[in-house]
Amino acid sequence: MMSDFITMNGYGFYVWLSFGFVFISCAVVYFKTKKTLKKYEQEFLVEIQTLSLEEKNKALENSKVARQILATSSKIN
Amino acid sequence: MLKFFSSSNIYSVIQKLIKFINSIFFLILVIGLTFALVLSPPDYLQGDVVRIMYVHVPSAWIGLACFSVITFLSILNFIFKIKNFYLINKSVAPIGLLFTCLAIVTGSLWGQPTWGTWWAWDARLTSMLVLMLFYILYILTFKLFKKEELIIKVSSIIAIIGSINLPIIKYSVEWWTTLHQPASIKITGSSSIHSEMMLPLMVMLLVFLLYAALIFLMKYKTEIVRIKKNNFKRY
Repeated sequence: MMSDFITMNGYGFYVWLSFGFVFISCAVVYFKTKKTLKKYEQEFLVEIQTLSLEEKNKALENSKVARQILATSSKIN
Repeated sequence: MLKFFSSSNIYSVIQKLIKFINSIFFLILVIGLTFALVLSPPDYLQGDVVRIMYVHVPSAWIGLACFSVITFLSILNFIFKIKNFYLINKSVAPIGLLFTCLAIVTGSLWGQPTWGTWWAWDARLTSMLVLMLFYILYILTFKLFKKEELIIKVSSIIAIIGSINLPIIKYSVEWWTTLHQPASIKITGSSSIHSEMMLPLMVMLLVFLLYAALIFLMKYKTEIVRIKKNNFKRY
């Protein structure tokens, strides 16, 4: 029963390679995308730190998205 | 209504959607894999190798769907000059390329035991390869050009020219004699696939669609953060 499942009646190599290739490719793309997103969020935080308090308040006041990014990035770190 | 589509609202909706997909994805993946690898029956002619269909077919469908979306939004962007469409296309293109590549590779792995060859220069396979090349060209425009207006123009032209290939892919199995079998699933008319195979296929399609949506949302979110970061430099 178990060996039938693994060998897939002689087609195991093709079936498992197909599913494995899809799984690994999707995982690589997922982690790469997540890493890029985190990198940009990090750079965004660094950019904010370079502003003076007045500039920072003004920028955050004008942008709800900036406030949201700041909130989520702070949670991550 | 228009207020809903403001960038701040879109950003919070994206966050919620990412959380939602993350919470259900694993469960649906396990259900899909159980159906595809264990519960679905082997084909009377091909045997267990038919299980490759559950990753090959959804990949090909999503690869084609992504390019259709890109073409449609490129045409709209050409007319209405809406920057959001450009950002959506930029986020969708890598997903389309990934699934087109997966369709080609899994198709090749399915072809070897059924046709006796990894690759043949027949109409369906070649037109899928052409689609992959159009995706690469499309993505390259974002890397090669710096001016946004030029990128939008060149990428839209590539998308519109590439869209000619979409009906060729769809009808290649009817227009020419190919190794590839004709479509078993039809939107109009009856499908020739048994329900015991149709159900796993639909569950796996849902898994792939959720994955594609997740990657799209993450890429789109990255674009928003990138734009906001650049805006901060003005202060």
